[in-house]
Amino acid sequence: MERRIKQIMADVLDLNPKSVDDSTCQDRVAAWDSLNHIQLVLALEQEFAVSFEVGEIEAMLSYPDIRQVLERKLHA
Amino acid sequence: MTPSSEARSEARAAVCAAAAAGDTHHAIRAARELLRRGGAQDLSFLRREIEKATSWSPPLTPVKVALLSSFSIEFVEPALVVHGFLSGLAVQIHRGGFGQFRQEIVDPDSRLYAFGPEFVILAVEGEDWAPMLYDQFLDHDEASLNACIGQICDETRALVQALRRRSAATVLMHNFAPPRRRQLGILDAQLARGQAQWVHRMNEALAAVCRDAQGMYVVDYAGLVARFGATRWYDERMRLYARAPIAADQWGHLAAEYMRYCRAVRGLTKKCVVVDLDNTLWGGVLGEDGPYGIRLGSEYPGSAYRAFQQELLSLTRRGVLLAIASKNNVADVDEVFAQNTNMVLKREHFSSLQIHWQPKTESLPQIARELNIGLEHMVFIDDNPVECEEVSQALPMVKVICLPQQPELFVDALLEDGLFDALALSAEDSRRGDLYRQRDQAEALRAESGSLEEFYRGLGMEVTIAPVTKASLARAAQLTQKTNQFNVTTVRYTEAELVERMRTGEWLLATVGVRDRFGDNGIVGLLMARPDRTALDIDTLLLSCRVIGRSVETAMLAFVCAQAGRRGLSEVRGRIVPTAKNVPVRDLFAHHGFTQVANGDSGETAWRLSLAGGGVPWPAWMRVTVADGNPAPEA
Repeated sequence: MERRIKQIMADVLDLNPKSVDDSTCQDRVAAWDSLNHIQLVLALEQEFAVSFEVGEIEAMLSYPDIRQVLERKLHA
Repeated sequence: MTPSSEARSEARAAVCAAAAAGDTHHAIRAARELLRRGGAQDLSFLRREIEKATSWSPPLTPVKVALLSSFSIEFVEPALVVHGFLSGLAVQIHRGGFGQFRQEIVDPDSRLYAFGPEFVILAVEGEDWAPMLYDQFLDHDEASLNACIGQICDETRALVQALRRRSAATVLMHNFAPPRRRQLGILDAQLARGQAQWVHRMNEALAAVCRDAQGMYVVDYAGLVARFGATRWYDERMRLYARAPIAADQWGHLAAEYMRYCRAVRGLTKKCVVVDLDNTLWGGVLGEDGPYGIRLGSEYPGSAYRAFQQELLSLTRRGVLLAIASKNNVADVDEVFAQNTNMVLKREHFSSLQIHWQPKTESLPQIARELNIGLEHMVFIDDNPVECEEVSQALPMVKVICLPQQPELFVDALLEDGLFDALALSAEDSRRGDLYRQRDQAEALRAESGSLEEFYRGLGMEVTIAPVTKASLARAAQLTQKTNQFNVTTVRYTEAELVERMRTGEWLLATVGVRDRFGDNGIVGLLMARPDRTALDIDTLLLSCRVIGRSVETAMLAFVCAQAGRRGLSEVRGRIVPTAKNVPVRDLFAHHGFTQVANGDSGETAWRLSLAGGGVPWPAWMRVTVADGNPAPEA
């Protein structure tokens, strides 16, 4: 799962997947604006066949946050 | 890794490799494969790979698209670039701020006009533009609903008029999707003026506005939403949270729909379908099952093959040519055509037959030569993956449809990409198969004739040169978009651009119709020229490939000379812009006594003919009628 999250983040935010780690967050990635945030969240939904609530979308502001929300979703 | 994620990684790697090599055909195949396995989550990746590549071979056709929208349409941009690429287009996008499309169109200094779009897409959601037809429906009476429709039509007309002052772009206007929730529930369908009816009336009115405008077309958004289903199409959460109403997995469908229009305007429409026979037009193998044993009829699976044949027949009514490439015995196939009454398609529906045991990679170029069309305009349909792969590898410009196992899926496989879309259906289109038969008869006459002139005389040609009119406008634009071989400059024009030329009054714009003893070919040529100081300067001179080699061009040049003389000009000028396709036209001017005056960039040549020597004489072997009230020339 982590590899797939990193790949999606890399695709949408124009990053090297290897550079995505626990410090990757919205404040530190130039391309991570509100538009790309929606792109990112929707791409993750497609990739993992899940649907996020708006509250979750607003909480997914870093790689660890994304992982956590997704883990909860997938194991619910 | 699961097998599917492995296949996706491989598809991604294939895209990267093909993009790095600039190999257009392989990159398109790899991108299709990736989209088939993944989906919307791969669009950002694909877009970046496509835009990162520095060059493509064969090159992509650039196309500038302006997206003006009532909602956040930026999410569709990656899909638009990717689906454009699948059609061989390099899409450049200008996006207006959402809801600001009126300002952009009205403001002459807007970024829209600085961008210089070739396509302007008015992507409006009915819910945004006319809320009273949607969730506020019950707050309004009939008079105000009528006023609402009238006002939206007026506004649309005004916007297009404003746009036309600064741009000849093709305008694509969304119609309105049916209301997802009927405010009156099941009662709505009982009423003469229910909510769904009102939206339908809105769409009829919008379609009328588009018909009256030039170069403006309806994007059937209502049909699109219906095709994929409103419950899947919309993402209510994102509509309210990010003003992005369309669900992520539908962006590709919307982008693909837009591309159908771009391809149609750009003349990238397919012209010919080449079909295999066994397990394609019928079930089973003719050589084994015999002409009556093949599966074809009213019961499944024969019914599915009949449905597929019916669809192919309908394509011929739209001007698509049919041909056969099959490994079979000719006598067996003849027997099926002659005897099997379950055949929907008859022998005469096929313009070319390649039935033998040679490879299909030889049959297809042969058909292309016979019909005088480019391989890139051909679609090859076969059930055999090996032969499909052979053709894909050897002839990557041919669109290959490898049929699925179940014949009930054939029709969708044929139609899903909108390969045959056109924005006009001319009289010539609906009887194109006949026209090719006439051409075959003429070719037979050519073979019998002792000399060229004897052949020309034997044809009994009647050529009609007439001004471009409202009635012939669509055909004239279509000719500029579709003619590749006998075309001096190969500039493509939209109807709107031609209307602009008609309006100025300065241009000589003429269509050329040709009749011969085998029938009427309809309008097959176009001429555009305009005075430049002392010369009449030919901008466009083209002839459909059906009438190449009959000296119709001589009549066209004689007409230009006569017109130049009438306008008191002293010479005629022309240019040849060489393309990969227009070899047949290269010696046009040299052959008619023009002198070469310049070599331009990239092989372009310029030519002039002084009228002091009398100009190009009218050809003696045809009757030419100039239908603008001028006396017919001496023949």
